[in-house]
Amino acid sequence: MRSTTLNPLRWLAWLAALLTAWASAAAAAAPAAYIGEQACIGCHGQENKHFSDTLHAKAFRQNPRNDREGRVCEACHGPGSQHAASPKDKTLLIGFTKNWGTPVDKMNEQCLSCHQGGNRLHWPGSTHAGNKLACSDCHNPMEKLPAGSLLARHSINDTCATCHRQQRSEFNKRSHMPLPEGKITCVDCHNPHGSATKPLLKAENTNNLCYSCHAEKRGPFLWEHAPVRENCANCHSPHGSNHDKLLVAARPYLCQQCHSPSIGHPGNFWNNSNTAASVTKEGPFPNALFPAGANSTMSQRVVNRSCQNCHSQIHGSNHPAGARWQR
Amino acid sequence: MCRCPPSRRAARLAALAGPPCRRAALAPLVALALAQWAMAPAQADSGVAVDTAQANALNPAGLSSARPKDPDGLGLSLNSRSPTGLLYPEPWALRPANMTDSGWDYNASAEFGWLHLNGGFGASKYREYKDLRDGLTLHNFALQAEKPADARFFELYGGGVGREDQYFSLSTGRYNAWRVKAFYSETPHVFTSTYRSLWNGVGSANLTLKPGTGLTAGPTAPATVLITEAAVRAAVAATPDTTLSLVRKKGGVRLDATLSEHWKAYAAYTNENREGARPFGMVFGGGGGAGSMEIPESIDYNTHDLYAGVQWATARTQVNLQASASFFRNHVPTQSIDNAWFVAVPGGVTGVTSFPQGQFALYPDNDAYSLKLEGAHAMPEFFRSRVTALLHATSTRQNDPLLPMVVQPGLLVNGLNGQWNTTASLSKTTAGARIDSRLADLGLALAPTDGLDLRAKLRHYETSNDTAYWACNPLTGQWGRLINNGSAAVTANPAVSAANPPGTTANSWNAAACNLGAVQAMNLVPAAGNINIRNIPYEYTQDNVGASGDWRLTMRQNLSLALERETFRRTHRERDRTWEDKLKLGYVHRDLAGGTLRASFENARRRGSTYNSDPYEEFYSSSMGPLPSLTGANVSSWIHTNDLHRKFDLADRDTRVLNLRFNHALREDVDLGLAWQWKDANYPNSQFGRKGHWRQNSLNADITWQPQPELSVYGFATRQTGSIRQAGDQAGGCALGTTYYFRSDGSIGTGAAGANLTAAQVAAGITTVATSTVTVANWETLCAGTASDNPLFNTGRVWTVRQDDSNTTAGVGLKWDLKRALLDLNYTYTLGRTRFAYTFNPAGLGTVTSGAPTPTQQFVLSLIGDGLPDQVIRTHVIDASLLVPVNKLASVRLLVRHETGKYRDPHYDGVAENRVPFATGNPAAFLDTGAQDFRATAVGVLFQLNW
Repeated sequence: MRSTTLNPLRWLAWLAALLTAWASAAAAAAPAAYIGEQACIGCHGQENKHFSDTLHAKAFRQNPRNDREGRVCEACHGPGSQHAASPKDKTLLIGFTKNWGTPVDKMNEQCLSCHQGGNRLHWPGSTHAGNKLACSDCHNPMEKLPAGSLLARHSINDTCATCHRQQRSEFNKRSHMPLPEGKITCVDCHNPHGSATKPLLKAENTNNLCYSCHAEKRGPFLWEHAPVRENCANCHSPHGSNHDKLLVAARPYLCQQCHSPSIGHPGNFWNNSNTAASVTKEGPFPNALFPAGANSTMSQRVVNRSCQNCHSQIHGSNHPAGARWQR
Repeated sequence: MCRCPPSRRAARLAALAGPPCRRAALAPLVALALAQWAMAPAQADSGVAVDTAQANALNPAGLSSARPKDPDGLGLSLNSRSPTGLLYPEPWALRPANMTDSGWDYNASAEFGWLHLNGGFGASKYREYKDLRDGLTLHNFALQAEKPADARFFELYGGGVGREDQYFSLSTGRYNAWRVKAFYSETPHVFTSTYRSLWNGVGSANLTLKPGTGLTAGPTAPATVLITEAAVRAAVAATPDTTLSLVRKKGGVRLDATLSEHWKAYAAYTNENREGARPFGMVFGGGGGAGSMEIPESIDYNTHDLYAGVQWATARTQVNLQASASFFRNHVPTQSIDNAWFVAVPGGVTGVTSFPQGQFALYPDNDAYSLKLEGAHAMPEFFRSRVTALLHATSTRQNDPLLPMVVQPGLLVNGLNGQWNTTASLSKTTAGARIDSRLADLGLALAPTDGLDLRAKLRHYETSNDTAYWACNPLTGQWGRLINNGSAAVTANPAVSAANPPGTTANSWNAAACNLGAVQAMNLVPAAGNINIRNIPYEYTQDNVGASGDWRLTMRQNLSLALERETFRRTHRERDRTWEDKLKLGYVHRDLAGGTLRASFENARRRGSTYNSDPYEEFYSSSMGPLPSLTGANVSSWIHTNDLHRKFDLADRDTRVLNLRFNHALREDVDLGLAWQWKDANYPNSQFGRKGHWRQNSLNADITWQPQPELSVYGFATRQTGSIRQAGDQAGGCALGTTYYFRSDGSIGTGAAGANLTAAQVAAGITTVATSTVTVANWETLCAGTASDNPLFNTGRVWTVRQDDSNTTAGVGLKWDLKRALLDLNYTYTLGRTRFAYTFNPAGLGTVTSGAPTPTQQFVLSLIGDGLPDQVIRTHVIDASLLVPVNKLASVRLLVRHETGKYRDPHYDGVAENRVPFATGNPAAFLDTGAQDFRATAVGVLFQLNW
């Protein structure tokens, strides 16, 4: 016959497990409280290794501006008591990765609670915000990867290219600004955090942005060229072009898209008989087809720099005789 | 109680099996002492100014990329992903810091060694923006130090030392307190490596023909056009190729200070110097240009930029105030250059026998000032709203001394000595140019319900142009200008004909002493209607009014709609007003099949006020007197332009843009990205100019595989096509009293000589289908816009051009830490092609004699064909790096960069064979033969030290 007396040790083990479960549940149910970064590091030592080298870690640990910064990990992730009690419950802590599942709005609100204003004043409603980008899509404050700004890639350009591969490829075209050569970045022209312009320009319009590097074209000039003064992008494709000088189309045809005067050559039909190669094919002169005194069909309106062989001051001329931008 | 979940890596690698919370042994103090290599410090300021990175072609991220990754990755989550779903790169391996007694901890690194180049490395496209040379190289270096006790830091890095693409950056300060950043960077820009310079002094204000070339400045008889053509050809052939290039050297310093928890301030100064030369153009001869020469433009610029600002931010209110000033200085504002062409003295010009020099007014000095105030205020109690406001004012000014029309003294125009070589001949002696702009931008955002955001925006931008220049010589009262240094007089004169009273001379207006009203009161018909008499001060305002809404469909789906009207009001343009209505739909799904989809479609429609093809009357000689009415008068120059030609920046336009981007995790260690952009801008009402559809299509795919921290592989491909079309009408003639006969083949007979068909035309079955006689009553409409009976713009003389661009870019690469070595391989391929196709009527354009094409004409037709040869660019770039550790401090790095480039540009077809192509009466010298094919390999053996 089996004994009906309960084993005290079994009772104690059962009670301990019950109390542990109650404690965890109670901790999870209680309002979240700050537990200090030592507790975080207890489990996240590897993360801390890399985080320690970031600007956030150094600023928060060495010279925090306020109590919140002094909390280090919990300054961004929020109070960690509930997470420590129930680490698999992703709703108990603010995370910044896809798998953690914190809503993008919440992630960004967390970052902006310190980083509002400044260069991010126009973030709400900006193109990136409207596309539901999170700050941590471009930034990874947990490791010091690239050239500054705690970006999520090895450089500014690589960061932008994760989504804007098309523009990055355009910079490989025949004429391009020196982005692949490391001399400029996307952020020289665009503010990814938002601006008052839809293309996120760092100036109030395209031209004033271009003048940041091309100050010589600022003028104003005595003789202005209207489409130039209004918008450089009327003629230029800033990310790259198959044509010389980042032009939208080949000369002389680009110029002829606006110029069709009643007198002179701008409206003429320029073609393959006007290249320097035509001279070679037509000559040597004189010959039966091109007798003495005959002109070859070559024209400086097609060869080399085409219209700019003569109209070299195409962005505007400051010469009193420069009405046609030849001087 | 620590309840660390197992990491995925720990689960995968048995080596990490051990007691839980083992990692808790790593104390924060130890973590602080562990410092990575110095990485390039934060130069980027996303909101203000440029120079956001210092790097070069071989160090595109600023510092060496030959560094091992941490095999333990970022900890608990291997292959963690951004909220969009993209894999984060794994972190660099950490190195312990060196500690000193002073409390400063530091790390330093350097790569140096030898670089060897082989192949066509002199080609302009190879070294367009980089400077790779044989020899010793300090490839990159870095020093990072900090004093944790004082929160002080110091970072210094650089690369390419001593080369024209070198860069340096220094940053020091106190965390959360202040920071000083200084940088210096050089950027070469090589324009051509095949330029044949005939001049000494390239890069200076005076270019003189080199002795020994056999060329003389301004040759005179017995020299002729042919003789000087031959002389220039011989001189060019005997001149070696040289390079035209410039180097940008820029440095700056910036101070950022955190004044309090809410206040920040910054101030910066940068200076850029640019020196060198680039290809430029000079032309002598008549107004249409005869005697063009590709000359070098001297460049010696200096730009000083200052900017400063304060930022205030609280939870609800943020304000930014910024002021900036920019001063551009050109140390070669005027360039004089010897002219080697024989140029016949044109009619109307006497007192000179040749034109030995050309003179250019290069870019003038300018000053620009800017003040910007912007702010935002949140009102959570009012529908969670937020108001933004921005005010911005700029002023750009330029007041350089103006150059006289010509350089040589004694030149007479219409018999008068107007001292054209002095500034006394000008209506003003300095430019006095100024453009101011003002911007006001207001925005309101509110969230009336959860899941719905609404926005409204008002923006007003305006410019005012205070530049005024009258082209009239106060000494003589003569209007117009002397172009090409006097080799052509383009003066506005009354017609010396029966159009005006007897006794009218070319100088009859002079008595008005540059008073336009008095000139107009004389009521004399101008000789031509298209001579510029004053500058055009373009101004515009731009107004944007918009509203948008964003609706959260589910936790991970959003739908947005934006409406906007953009209105331009322009002065002195073909349209007073244009307006563009835009609608944009957007959709984001952040959990579509586990990936993120972002899509948008934009539709825009631009229309405007009545298009006036000639709004420039008051700026031309046509405004100086009545319209011509004399039989025989050529009225073409009063028409100015084809009435049906539309300038694309003002033309009616319908635009549609579709954007799609999808990111998907194919596996936990594989990312796939697909993107498509389709753009279509249609000019529905433009018969001439840019017309039809301007399409661009871009398809992108990229893949990343990151199976472990030590290995990452990527690949991408982009295919882009584009198509742009235009039409033109080559002008004919329009003379009062002349009858024009329009043939069935598109040709036009003129006057009595053209009244009857030729025998050849009859034999070819060509008939006369219409006639027009130009009269005083009808010329303004008859000759205005393209029509079958318009002798000036006739349907028979219409031509079209289509340019089709296609581009393919693809690349693969990997980074692999093999433990005993670190391999980094990257390959990029680019193929760009532009196809040209055109249509035209040979008989209509006079390319062939109507009914009887000559053998010469038929030969020319065969040259014309149906398009220019394709423009083709093909490049391959292979970058390889192998890093072999020798010990804890040192490694050896083998660097190989192999590049090839092939360039075909029809603009340069035949130039290399003949830089001075034969063209009697129209000499031209092309001293640059364009981009050259190349194949070049750079090999570097470097030592990498880390301590």
